[in-house]
Amino acid sequence: MKPTAFLKENWRVLLLVVFVLGAVVALFLPGGVMGDSSYASQGESNQSWTEDPINLEYGLGLEGGTRISAPVVGMTAENVDAGVVSDGEVDQDRVTEIEESLYADETLGLEVGDANVVVHDDGTVSVELFLDDVSEAEFVAALEDADVEASEDDVREGVTQETRDDVIETITLRINEAGLSGGQVTDAEMSDQHYVVTEVPEMGEDELQAILEDRGIVEVVAYHPGGENGTQVNETVLTGDDIAEVDPPRQPERETGYEVPVQVEDSSAEDFQSDMREMGYSEQQGWSNCRVQDPQTGEMTFNDEQEQHCLLTVVDGEPVAAHSMSQQLGSSMASGEWVESPQFRMGAQEYSDAQALSVNLQAGELRAPLDLTEGNVYSLQPALADQFKSYSLLIGVLSVISVSGVVYGRYQDRRVAAPMILTALAEVFILLGFAALIRMPLDLSHIAGFIAVVGTGVDDLIIIADEVMSEGDVNSQRVFESRFRKAFWVIGAAAATTIIAMSPLAVLSLGDLRGFAIITILGVLIGVLITRPAYGDILRRLLTDR
Amino acid sequence: MGYFDVPEIEYTRYSNRQLAAIPLAFLAVALAILLIAYTVYGTPVALGMDFAGGTELTVETTDSESAIQTAFDEEPESIQSTGASNQYIVQFTSEDQQALTDQAEENLAPLEGNDEVVQETSSTSASFGAQAQQTALLGIVVAFVGMSVITFLLFRTFVPSIAIILSAFSDLVIPLAFMNLANIPLTLGTVAGLLMLIGYSVDSDILLNNHILRRGGSFYESTNEAIRTGVTMTITSMIAMLVMAIAATIMGVELLASIGTILFVGLAADLMNTYMLNLSLLRWYKFEGINR
Repeated sequence: MKPTAFLKENWRVLLLVVFVLGAVVALFLPGGVMGDSSYASQGESNQSWTEDPINLEYGLGLEGGTRISAPVVGMTAENVDAGVVSDGEVDQDRVTEIEESLYADETLGLEVGDANVVVHDDGTVSVELFLDDVSEAEFVAALEDADVEASEDDVREGVTQETRDDVIETITLRINEAGLSGGQVTDAEMSDQHYVVTEVPEMGEDELQAILEDRGIVEVVAYHPGGENGTQVNETVLTGDDIAEVDPPRQPERETGYEVPVQVEDSSAEDFQSDMREMGYSEQQGWSNCRVQDPQTGEMTFNDEQEQHCLLTVVDGEPVAAHSMSQQLGSSMASGEWVESPQFRMGAQEYSDAQALSVNLQAGELRAPLDLTEGNVYSLQPALADQFKSYSLLIGVLSVISVSGVVYGRYQDRRVAAPMILTALAEVFILLGFAALIRMPLDLSHIAGFIAVVGTGVDDLIIIADEVMSEGDVNSQRVFESRFRKAFWVIGAAAATTIIAMSPLAVLSLGDLRGFAIITILGVLIGVLITRPAYGDILRRLLTDR
Repeated sequence: MGYFDVPEIEYTRYSNRQLAAIPLAFLAVALAILLIAYTVYGTPVALGMDFAGGTELTVETTDSESAIQTAFDEEPESIQSTGASNQYIVQFTSEDQQALTDQAEENLAPLEGNDEVVQETSSTSASFGAQAQQTALLGIVVAFVGMSVITFLLFRTFVPSIAIILSAFSDLVIPLAFMNLANIPLTLGTVAGLLMLIGYSVDSDILLNNHILRRGGSFYESTNEAIRTGVTMTITSMIAMLVMAIAATIMGVELLASIGTILFVGLAADLMNTYMLNLSLLRWYKFEGINR
């Protein structure tokens, strides 16, 4: 037979072979085909390859880990007339003015980081409050006090897309800072309510909750005798945004606790230095006189009568450490040399606090808080996940065996039944290869999808076999083709309805079910386009070449 | 051919009315069950934790079931032992999963070589559940409407398309009523089963319609051919689902167990609906409807 004729006659089977080989490569090639794909972002996830020769990624349900879905707390006044944008330019002073006016409003009772003005790309302006105990009327009244035109109709629950994106970015950074890879943070929408979904393999629920709980708003506050009659006052001198670089926490030489060395942004260093000089930190009487923190116990007591110069590290409104100005730092500020290399040390008493401080400084603050009580938490221990993994494999194998039994019992003809079962398995194999290729993390729901694929696959093969063998054996190519085409109409129609029925699940954010739907749809497509036509060809050869 | 041959049914012995009566009666009873449940409980089917909110813990402990019962400040809604030894699924109506986890770790003894009692936790707030419920309902409606549209596009005639849609509707309603009777709550897994059923159950209807409407040969010849293929298909799927449901129930893999159960019941309903309801409508259409 000429090669071209061979190709023409057997292209369907050859296509199947190509796909199966492709799946073999995707599954078993060490390192995977797309080694640096975005899914498993960092090196650590590679460990699964060394333990496991198969390039499959597993999701939470089969690997263990925690998933927390929570809405962002807040309300938004959209499309307000705030006089922020003129001639396409954003008036930053006006933005600050609005925010300050909101913070000053007593009925709202805002704390630092609770208000935000967003200027969208199209020039419209939204104002957000990250609280849930404020009424629409109070919000509108506060906006009007700030000369912002708004009505209660403009106010809605929830926050802007920009803020959600920012929150997602910060959480992603925090997870990566915590040294864990394979985490995923996404935005999911269910009937108009948005949820931030954070999924981290190999992390317990307490740990993840701790990461999501804190706003992580870091401030350096000067506690100094700057008030009337020399009483002590607090003044924020640096915020997290002013910090350019952060080192991991370490133990200081002489003092107790931990310190986090930081470098201040060049643009803020000058201001910080002049603030320090004005407040008296650069002179000798401002050095080493902070007595807020007990050096032994680390307990903090604020005595406003006692004159002292302290630099407080404040996280989410709570002071975590108090330090004196050292002679070295103070004198370099006095001489003005400090701005040349604007470094100093922030601190915390406990290592975990210092670690959190370092992470918060690097990842930035969470622009809006998450409401962890209004969502969904799922957590699975790796041991039980392993059990699920082997059980689901067992269930899959049992299903395949029982299907094979029925098919064999029905046809009693190995020529028909054996290729049928092999083809259905090839379908699952190609799907697995595909999952390995795009590094889709497999979950229990995907396993259910695989079993469903075997089910629909065998159904369609039964249709082909019955159709092709109807009215006696097949003895010519033409008869075969015409019968095969008839069978294919039904298969195509059935596939179309299955795909339509599953597609809402593939799009909607219904937790686990998305994976199930995606696998089923992919399986049906692979089946209709590749494996089922090939089965027809195999059957034809077996039945006509006698 | 084969150990089991699909029996040929003597359809000529029954009138269309007789054939349609049984599946329609089932459908009516199923609808009545759902209606009664709706008036009594407020929802046609009991809602599981995914939709109603609450907390579920999977614990591994050497303690007995009665010890688990008293280990928590809040009385558990249900305690169910899984296939694995010393493993239990405990459900609560409250959402405070952190407190419940702490109580479990404090009051229950872990298995040897295991430092954690709580192996799996899942908790859903009521508002999250309500939104999931709406989203799931939307999914089912969209899937059903999509399936109906495709059916009309494929056959382009009213009666055969309606026959498929009606029997698919019944295929959904009967398992829902079954869930009510068997005390299976609606969860994400059962919703997946129901959606899969929309796709699965229509296959045999399409096959039947295709044989009868688009092929030559007598009505009964085509019917019997379609039945031979269709029943094999459905039985194969049913057996796969039955095995999956039983194995997953024994092993305590809930998601797979609920998908398997729903599909098994739904496919059984589909056998009846396809070869009695759909068939009677097609026969009426073929012999009487067309000539009118």
